[in-house]
Amino acid sequence: MGAIRAEIPNLVRTVHSLAGKYLTFSLADEDYGIEILKVREIIGVMEITSVPHTPIFVKGVINLRGRVIPIIDLRLKFEMESREYDDRTCIVVVDVHNGSLLVGMVVDAVSEVIAVVDKEIEPPPTFGVRLGDAGSILGMAKMASGVKILIDVDTIVGVGVALEFQDI
Amino acid sequence: MAEGKRAVSVILDDMALKIMLVEPGNLIGVGELLACAEELLSLGEGRVLAALEKMVEVFKSALEQVIMNSLPDTAENFDALAQCIVCMQEVSRRGVVTEQDFDRFSQVITATGFVLADNTLIIQGQSNSIGGEQTVNTEEGNSTSPTSKAEDKSSPVVNLDFLQDKELLGGFIEEAFDHLESIEVNVLELEQRPDDQEIINNIFRPFHTIKGVSGFLNLTIINKLAHTTENLLDDVRNGVRPMDSTVIDIVLNVGDQLREMVENVKAVLENGPGEYKEFDINPFTQRIDALRTLGGEGSGEQGAESLPATSSGSDAVSIVPDDSPLAPERVDPPVQPVAKEIRTSQQKDENTPVETEKKSSKMGVSIKVDVEKLDGLVNAVGELVIMQAMVRQNPLIGKISDPKLTKDFSQLSRITTELQKTAMAMRMVPIRQTFQKMTRLVRDLSRKSGKMVDLVMVGEDTEIDRNMVDSIYDPLVHMIRNSVDHGVQLPDERKKNGKPSTGTVKLSAYQKGGNIVIEIEDDGSGLNSDKIRKKALERRLIRSEENILDSEVNNLIFLPGFSTADKITDVSGRGVGMDVVKKAVEKLRGKVEVISQPGQGSQFVIRLPLTLAIIDGIVVRVGTERYIIPTIAIQESMRPDSSKYNTVHGRGETLKVRDHLVPVIRLFELFGIKEANKDLNDSIVVVIENEGRLRALMVDELLGKQEVVIKSLGGYLKDIPGVAGGTILGDGRVGLILDLAGLIAVSDGFKVRDVESE
Repeated sequence: MGAIRAEIPNLVRTVHSLAGKYLTFSLADEDYGIEILKVREIIGVMEITSVPHTPIFVKGVINLRGRVIPIIDLRLKFEMESREYDDRTCIVVVDVHNGSLLVGMVVDAVSEVIAVVDKEIEPPPTFGVRLGDAGSILGMAKMASGVKILIDVDTIVGVGVALEFQDI
Repeated sequence: MAEGKRAVSVILDDMALKIMLVEPGNLIGVGELLACAEELLSLGEGRVLAALEKMVEVFKSALEQVIMNSLPDTAENFDALAQCIVCMQEVSRRGVVTEQDFDRFSQVITATGFVLADNTLIIQGQSNSIGGEQTVNTEEGNSTSPTSKAEDKSSPVVNLDFLQDKELLGGFIEEAFDHLESIEVNVLELEQRPDDQEIINNIFRPFHTIKGVSGFLNLTIINKLAHTTENLLDDVRNGVRPMDSTVIDIVLNVGDQLREMVENVKAVLENGPGEYKEFDINPFTQRIDALRTLGGEGSGEQGAESLPATSSGSDAVSIVPDDSPLAPERVDPPVQPVAKEIRTSQQKDENTPVETEKKSSKMGVSIKVDVEKLDGLVNAVGELVIMQAMVRQNPLIGKISDPKLTKDFSQLSRITTELQKTAMAMRMVPIRQTFQKMTRLVRDLSRKSGKMVDLVMVGEDTEIDRNMVDSIYDPLVHMIRNSVDHGVQLPDERKKNGKPSTGTVKLSAYQKGGNIVIEIEDDGSGLNSDKIRKKALERRLIRSEENILDSEVNNLIFLPGFSTADKITDVSGRGVGMDVVKKAVEKLRGKVEVISQPGQGSQFVIRLPLTLAIIDGIVVRVGTERYIIPTIAIQESMRPDSSKYNTVHGRGETLKVRDHLVPVIRLFELFGIKEANKDLNDSIVVVIENEGRLRALMVDELLGKQEVVIKSLGGYLKDIPGVAGGTILGDGRVGLILDLAGLIAVSDGFKVRDVESE
């Protein structure tokens, strides 16, 4: 089921070119990229109010200039090892569903904005069962500075937490 | 002229100009033309040649057919229609109608495929002309029915044409609801003063607007129903038939039907064509037609009256100048301003209606604002207030002892407070509309039950939160229904008890403290406390040895389950489904109670917060987290006494609070907070009540009382059990507002799950 779900968006995506500008950031030793147009702003880590009855990767909510927005920890979301926040830790606020939803994602550090062209992009490799949900990966960009994993913000935060939580 | 009426020639010139701009498929242009034609017709006798009037009428029905798609809207047809206008212009200029004019006109108009009824346009003897007039009428009436039949066959495709212009449609829906509401209010007012011409006009106008707009939006059925009703009202307006209860009933029924249809259109617009429903309006149209033919002789006479102008020789067929003092003052033609409104909504028209200015002088100028923008403003203002507090609390600034700074700060906070108040006030609307809907309800109910009931309303200008208006409607209906159905007795019985045979239900609203209070008071039989007590004993809601006051017993009717088992009607006649009312009111964070005097009547009092956006809460601390508990649900808070603490199976904890065993909810456990105080004796319990259930929430500390602005946690984190939303606390951090109903549900489930997992 999960595989099928991952297949369909991939098929659709190949129609659109993935080339464009990406904001890159790091999680552990890996580099990730998200579409620059989805990024609303980058803020430092502030005090987060935790919300009960949410999955572990939901750190809670913060006050973003009068708006209450949820914060998710990308390391935990990708089931990676968690790590203490430091002064390099950032919250990347992304704009999902055309601005109707703002979500903050905690990342280890923000690197740079890169321009990716089509020929540098490879479709996501298949990892089989080792990587449960790879559906959020758009593709891999082979840059001179290393491989960047291009991820789709909409897929990551697209599903409401309440729904996901019910499965747990 | 003085009233903004345009001269015949001016309108015709306008039409000539407009038809040049109309292209196939441009229905809005046709709508504008239609409005012009109606404007011409509305000028009244004496202003327009009777013969010309007929031409305009034929022209108008041709336009209507174009709109309804039964005439093809090709360029050729518009050319033909343009020639018709030229023809009318000539007639109007010469002031005389000749046979040739008619011939030319009918030739041109039939070229479009328009079927001209025989002798519609023939000027002969008087009798013939009457025939002519009638054919025009039937023509008009019939022209809609074959079209709608044709459309029925090819239904969904054609019928959903109206979805083409969603924005226009959205506007129409909103307006239509307003119009329907005003119709209802006016009809009910008319019942009190049946001869008031102004009210009749006020009813006529919205029907006309609905007819017009639905016409060019291709909402055929709505258009037809509104049109038929308008015809009926027109008869009333012209004094052909009196405004009696039959007419009023029909108008009210049609209003309901229209509302249903418009609601369906709204559903289609929101959820797609799948929602589309077919409505059968034939019962209405047939009833109206039957009614009209019954009183129809009058309209025939009227036709005759208007005739001499045409028939009594050429000298009579002359144009009466537009501003002639001879022009008989007719009943204020409401058609014109309406037509104008339609046009201005389509196009920036320089001739901004004089009518709008007139209206605004009465009601105050207002604009419609997107709720989202308003919320944005409220958000920003809320943030401003917090920011200001943070700047003020900055230790560096605290060190400055400058009187000017202090003064400036207090000035600043005055301004921000004012700003916040204004922003909040913008969301408020008078409760009038909700109240007025009750008039109708009381009327229907009293008629049905054979009782005589007066509805007295006080304080309709009291303002409540826009978001609350819809939610308060149902509970109000419920209570009014209760008061009329069960409270107020039948006239005979009332007389026996020495009361006037007409009962009174008083609906009042006022602001008190930080609350809106709505009271529903009747002078009926009141609650029968003894029977309620008996029932409560049966249901073991109270114990016989308990000494409970009648007033407390009466409030038991709000308990869920109290009324569901069997009809309370035979107990006291009151209280059916009152738990529903209580639930609805509690959802709005309000309270409801009943005060009753046997034999004298009962009074329901609803207390609601001023706004839904702000909540009055107690901030509590649990470990490192802070939560807000709505004050209205809090019964008391205390340091628990270990002698009152009990456990069941060592886990289910209860606390004895004023003779009730209240289950304890350990918030830190429920919310998984680690660094919290785990000893009940060192903590504080807050006793809360929700839907009749009591719970003791265990918290670490009470931090204070605060009014907080409720914010949603966003779509991503919606429906978190136990959390109603978030707010921004004084230090800029987010605090969570507890949802007590959810909390209780989670804790009940939580305990079960906990036990199982152990």
